[in-house]
Amino acid sequence: MQLKKLNTAFIITIGVSVIVFVYLVFLGYDEIKTLKDVIKIIASILFPIPLLFFVRFILIEHFLPENTDAYKLQHQKPATILLVVTIIIGVVSMQGVEWVTGQKLEDHLIFAHLINSTTISSYVLNYILYNNLRVNGILSGVLLSLAIHVFFLTA
Amino acid sequence: MNPIIQPPKPRTNANKRELLFTFQSIIVTGLLAFTAIAFFLHFNLRIEKGIKVIFAPFLSVVPLLFVLSILRDLRQGFKEGNYGKNEIIKFCLITIGITIAFTCVTFLLTKIDALEILLAAIMAILSIVFFLRSKIKDILGMSIITGIAEGIIVYMIFLF
Repeated sequence: MQLKKLNTAFIITIGVSVIVFVYLVFLGYDEIKTLKDVIKIIASILFPIPLLFFVRFILIEHFLPENTDAYKLQHQKPATILLVVTIIIGVVSMQGVEWVTGQKLEDHLIFAHLINSTTISSYVLNYILYNNLRVNGILSGVLLSLAIHVFFLTA
Repeated sequence: MNPIIQPPKPRTNANKRELLFTFQSIIVTGLLAFTAIAFFLHFNLRIEKGIKVIFAPFLSVVPLLFVLSILRDLRQGFKEGNYGKNEIIKFCLITIGITIAFTCVTFLLTKIDALEILLAAIMAILSIVFFLRSKIKDILGMSIITGIAEGIIVYMIFLF
């Protein structure tokens, strides 16, 4: 029962975050220009966190999973593999999209920002509600591939 | 395996709740500081009356200290078990109500164009948070603090 409630809370928070990000896109964030834009971005990244704390506060019983050594040992390897695979897929797909469309990610920074803040929100969600190591690997992979792409692979 | 990483003692649910409550109040404090800085920079507020700026925080801090010292603890403490369905619905509604209220309060804050009044207002909200933190350690306090945080964020995203 508690697991079901946690899942519902997870989905609702994700949904609200997505709405916020869609709103930001339609607002016309082609570039980050003024202090106001920066404030909105910071606020949108922070948005799910108090909600999560509240949910966690209410549904504290049967909090899952236990972050034990056994659990960590069991999931170390799959999580690491997922991390590496996600980095490779992320970098290759971003290079592929740039090559196919002939445009640079820097010219459409909103996408980078969107991926970034969605991933960070999911990261926090996962950390507070689930602490699932495999999901952790995938999300870390997305963030790392984005960083590698922006820092090293663009001229 | 590693004694450094292991928690010092097994935590009860009440302890966990208290920790979450503390985190939430730290987040609210940070948000209020962030709001203050954002408004100062955005509206180019000037220090016109230096003496007033210095004395503005005392308006709320002195009553806070007084109330904290004379009032007995109102807290019922954190529950060990689960909350019932009615309680959850009730406190979620309270949180939503306070979120709406604080969206309006943040809107009013942007209307203030004097540094000392803005500072005093933000210090007043901060004092309320600290009062809740120290005297009403309860799910009611948690809903109010969450509402304040969400209200500020909602204003910043959608209306600012």
